[in-house]
Amino acid sequence: MSWNAYFRRYWQLYALLALPMAYFIIFKYGPMYGIQIAFKDFNFFQGIMGSEWIGFEAFREVFGMRDFYITLRNTLMLNFLDLLISFPAPLILAIMLYEMKTLWFKKLSQTILYIPHFISWVIIGGIVYQVFGTQSGMINNVITSLGFEAIPFLTDKNDWLITYLLVGVWQSAGWGTIIYLAALTGINKELFEAAGIDGAGRLKRIWHITLPGLRSTIVVLLIINLGHMISIGFERPYVIGNLAVREYADVLSTFVYRIGLQSGQYTLATVVGLFQAVVGLVFVLGANYTSKKLTDEGIM
Amino acid sequence: MFGKKKSKLGSKKAMLVLGLSCSLLFTACSANKEPEASGGNDGASKERVTLKVEVFDRGNSPAGSTITDNYLTNFIQENFGDPNNIDLEYVPVPRSEEVEKLNVLMASGSNVPDIVFTYDPNTFNRYAKQGGLTDVGPLLDEYAPNLKAFLGEDVLGYGKFEGTQFAVPAKRSYVGKYASFIRQDWLDKLGMPVPQTTEELYETLKAFKEKDPGETGGQVIPLGMTIASAQYEPLIWSFIKPVSEEERHTLVQQLGSNDYPTLLPGFKDALQFMNKLYNEGLMSKDFGLDKDKKKLGEDVATGKVGFYSEDDINPFYEKGTLDTLQQNVPGAQLASVDVYTNEEGKHAKPMYAPNGMYIMIPKSSERAVEAIKYLEWMATSDNLFKLQNGIEGENYTMVEDIPVAVENPTEEALNRMYNGGDMIIVSNGKQLGSLEKNLKARAMQMPKKFQEQVEAAQKIANSDVIAPVLMDRPIEAQTKYGTTLLDKFNEMIVKTTMSKPDQFDSVYESMLKDYMASGGQAILDERTAVYKEMQAQ
Repeated sequence: MSWNAYFRRYWQLYALLALPMAYFIIFKYGPMYGIQIAFKDFNFFQGIMGSEWIGFEAFREVFGMRDFYITLRNTLMLNFLDLLISFPAPLILAIMLYEMKTLWFKKLSQTILYIPHFISWVIIGGIVYQVFGTQSGMINNVITSLGFEAIPFLTDKNDWLITYLLVGVWQSAGWGTIIYLAALTGINKELFEAAGIDGAGRLKRIWHITLPGLRSTIVVLLIINLGHMISIGFERPYVIGNLAVREYADVLSTFVYRIGLQSGQYTLATVVGLFQAVVGLVFVLGANYTSKKLTDEGIM
Repeated sequence: MFGKKKSKLGSKKAMLVLGLSCSLLFTACSANKEPEASGGNDGASKERVTLKVEVFDRGNSPAGSTITDNYLTNFIQENFGDPNNIDLEYVPVPRSEEVEKLNVLMASGSNVPDIVFTYDPNTFNRYAKQGGLTDVGPLLDEYAPNLKAFLGEDVLGYGKFEGTQFAVPAKRSYVGKYASFIRQDWLDKLGMPVPQTTEELYETLKAFKEKDPGETGGQVIPLGMTIASAQYEPLIWSFIKPVSEEERHTLVQQLGSNDYPTLLPGFKDALQFMNKLYNEGLMSKDFGLDKDKKKLGEDVATGKVGFYSEDDINPFYEKGTLDTLQQNVPGAQLASVDVYTNEEGKHAKPMYAPNGMYIMIPKSSERAVEAIKYLEWMATSDNLFKLQNGIEGENYTMVEDIPVAVENPTEEALNRMYNGGDMIIVSNGKQLGSLEKNLKARAMQMPKKFQEQVEAAQKIANSDVIAPVLMDRPIEAQTKYGTTLLDKFNEMIVKTTMSKPDQFDSVYESMLKDYMASGGQAILDERTAVYKEMQAQ
């Protein structure tokens, strides 16, 4: 087929592709123009073009800031713990839902589990204070009325860490099951029947059929999660965190907000953003490479 | 795959989708530029120009008005705009994110208002330093004699950056900030007098806790505390020891718009006192979580709090804290008191700087002259009075030379003034010619039943005040580290207060070290250098 004929035949497909391409070019690649702010003494009356080049000076300044290392450490720590606690949660939940045979109860639990995902972090923050506060939180009211000492869920850094992680599980685990449940529908039911006839119990079936069936989904999600190790959402640590636990709660995103949007030091904020992007890329590629070596599964 | 017929239909549909999406994309892009086009320079009337003015949007416009089209905007258009051949255009900026939004506006280059303003001195300093502002000094001399007289040299000084007048600071009608409040009915019940000193306060707080006169069932919070300045500043500043002129200039750290006593002698004693109160259970346990004072307001209104400090007239608003408290706890009384006492026996507490917000004209503006005329008009003869008070008989009546709000005004009259505070940018608060009158007018806006306490609170807020320190030139390190250090300062208060008494010293040392390393030292060094320059002159 000549190029001309080929084009005449399939041009609609290309036209359809044009829009998503335009989206990526305009909204994902276009803004990369701004990355140069990291290498400039950005003066917003003169704009990006008018500002002076300063080379790596801003990088030196950021890498010399104590807060940068603390927030970097906290970001990695919170994300790693999250991976440990919050990553398996939806998997376990999904298998439990899958094993559930009473349909109406399954539907009901799913709905209840999804709801927290739709509550904004600001509201969750308010709920958390009402429930976990030391003086008048619901839980501590019960504890103190029983004659025990109140537990500083929000103001002791270690207790806070547990609160932070569990609130994260509560918020996201239900929603996270969706992707696993979708993957589970792809498993041939006959396998379960056959295993049952062969005398495999429920746990054996989960171990030998369900989990292997989910393996590629787990790997893909794990790689995506690892790519996000260095970046962290703003709302959750900002809203759940407070001054008493800043030692743990201050993370890169709140750091960028403080020096960028609040103090107007856009150059420094861009440096941190660029740093996060580069390290994130290394994490994704590394995880993908390792996974391909070990399991033959990857995302590219 | 594509049949011939199908492909024709498909292609039409595809075109439609494509066209629609494109048009969506482009309208989104061009929407921003529209207001610029309407700025019509050479329309029918040749000299008619457009003046763009920033306005805070609090999202509280009553039905029939918008923040850009209401009684006051029309009043200004008719009385200032039309006679001068100027079309006024208001550019709304959400109040809660004024700095962020203003930064974006200024960076956008086009559509920057001709008059912008902010409360944040750091933002002002940054704009001035980056060369983004018009020097208004000569313009004020030429076009604004009334405005200059109204503001006075003192206030104008705050708008100077390295000797150049880059901003017109608004004038405050009163500078008092804080008062303290105690449950008078609790004192009466216990037969105790109003505490006069910090030591007496400590005894009173202990009595509140032990005897629980409010019968809260163990929920009593003798001292209501938050991590907002209104609650901790009166306490902390009363511990600061008298210092020399030099120390006052060099050791104070201005973070944002307030002065902070991190390095002043006595600051550690203040923290130690808070630590003691906290560990003895005399203070709100969750004060470190309460940034916006919401929890405190709740606790006071439900009758749990015995004593607290607050912005002077804050508790007395209609349906405010005290009103709610009296509904919840019949017979509850809140008395305005001045208790925290320093070494010299004074009730030292901070006051506001005499200036309000910084009004600026971007350098890119071609309407700088009109902008200054706008401000001049506002400060001329009775314009300010009319703008601040509305229409006589409908909004106010004159009592003893003071405009008093009409009780039960009509809906129309009420809606007239809803944005008054934000439109009259040259002044913070009502200006009636003297501090006495200003305060009286302010008190008269409050509910009648609380009049006495309001007046007492205002008096307290204005006595023994500590003025903010004005340096000859802006401290760059403050602009740079202010936000970070303010967080660290608050963190220091929370952590030292909540530490076990035997760990207090080590927590204090490590927090102070971190504070100094994160910019505190840089500010100290720069202030010391600038002070030396000031002495050399």
